[in-house]
Amino acid sequence: MSQFSQNPYYKGGGGGGGFMAGDSPFGSNSGTPGSGHKRNNSPSVRPVTIKQILTATQVHSEADWVIDNAEVGTVTVVAQVISIQKQATNIVYNLDDGTGRLEARHWVDPSAMEEDEEEPVTEGVVIYMMGNIKAFSNKRYINTSQKRVSKDPHEIYFHLLNAMTTKLQLERGPPNGSGVPTVSSSTKTERGDASAYTAQATISTNNQWASLPAFHQQVLNAILSHPASELGVDVGAIAKIVGGQAAHLSATLDSLLDGGHIYTTVDESHFAVSQ
Amino acid sequence: MSDITSPRVNSARLADHVGRHVRLAGKVLKVAGDAAIVEASDGGNVEVKILGSQAATIKDQYVEIVGQVTEPGVVKMLNCINLGDKLDMAIVDFVVEKWHSPQFSSMF
Repeated sequence: MSQFSQNPYYKGGGGGGGFMAGDSPFGSNSGTPGSGHKRNNSPSVRPVTIKQILTATQVHSEADWVIDNAEVGTVTVVAQVISIQKQATNIVYNLDDGTGRLEARHWVDPSAMEEDEEEPVTEGVVIYMMGNIKAFSNKRYINTSQKRVSKDPHEIYFHLLNAMTTKLQLERGPPNGSGVPTVSSSTKTERGDASAYTAQATISTNNQWASLPAFHQQVLNAILSHPASELGVDVGAIAKIVGGQAAHLSATLDSLLDGGHIYTTVDESHFAVSQ
Repeated sequence: MSDITSPRVNSARLADHVGRHVRLAGKVLKVAGDAAIVEASDGGNVEVKILGSQAATIKDQYVEIVGQVTEPGVVKMLNCINLGDKLDMAIVDFVVEKWHSPQFSSMF
């Protein structure tokens, strides 16, 4: 018996193995060598029009859907409900946002009565919904995870503008020109002089991190400036660049991990920036 | 079911969509019998033909008329979405113009 408990493979087996490949938001992309050119720079929830869903492409039936050369996970749609078909296990909403028509399927949890909805969805109203694109025998639909009646009419127009902005950002990169790559090359040369480096890093900080504390941004820039940033940078190397106390650095890294700004790569002590 | 799309339009763009279904957002100026006058997002007035029983579905000051363009400046209403009493028509018109821009032809 002791023989089994010493084997590391059996130890984990009792827990049922919680890890599922493909479930991780990062795993599917970074884990496959060769697919590196199609890195997912898009936000994981993407606002789209129904036409974009209808024209989305898929390499094979298990692959991610691709819109404008970017993989999409969850999508959001704001559209008018044309008809509702209630079935035993799910409700089918026929949606029209002016760009096309699409079915959205909302699976009903039989144990939870959905009577607590603020406003019931009725035919003719405009709804906001979030879900995943699915296909069944050449027919596309959305598997709805969230839905609500859209009360402010501006939401219709906001959603369309949001979808347009997302498309442009995917085509051209984030606004204000200086993307991440220029940040890393300029900061790298300054590494010798700590004070000059700090100043440089603050100026060239990518605006998506603007809300983070200065030290957090410094750590992110340190990872990006490292030659091995794609594979993950060792915590020791990060400490060398940013300096400071180890406890402070490890707390910062934990907080960045929790925020989804970085992720661990080859092991727990190698970090790469999510983007 | 010739075409299931209904592009968002303003009064000027109606001429490009005769015979087709469109979505026209605007301010209701007058409802009388089987016709209504709606001020579109570009400021032009559009005549909306309504079937008697549908007149009651126009409730708010701002509405989106889903209908068929019978001739430039005239829309036959099929459906009406009430958009409340406060809507920024400049935003609406911006979206309408972008909708027809070739830059976004893959999404609209």
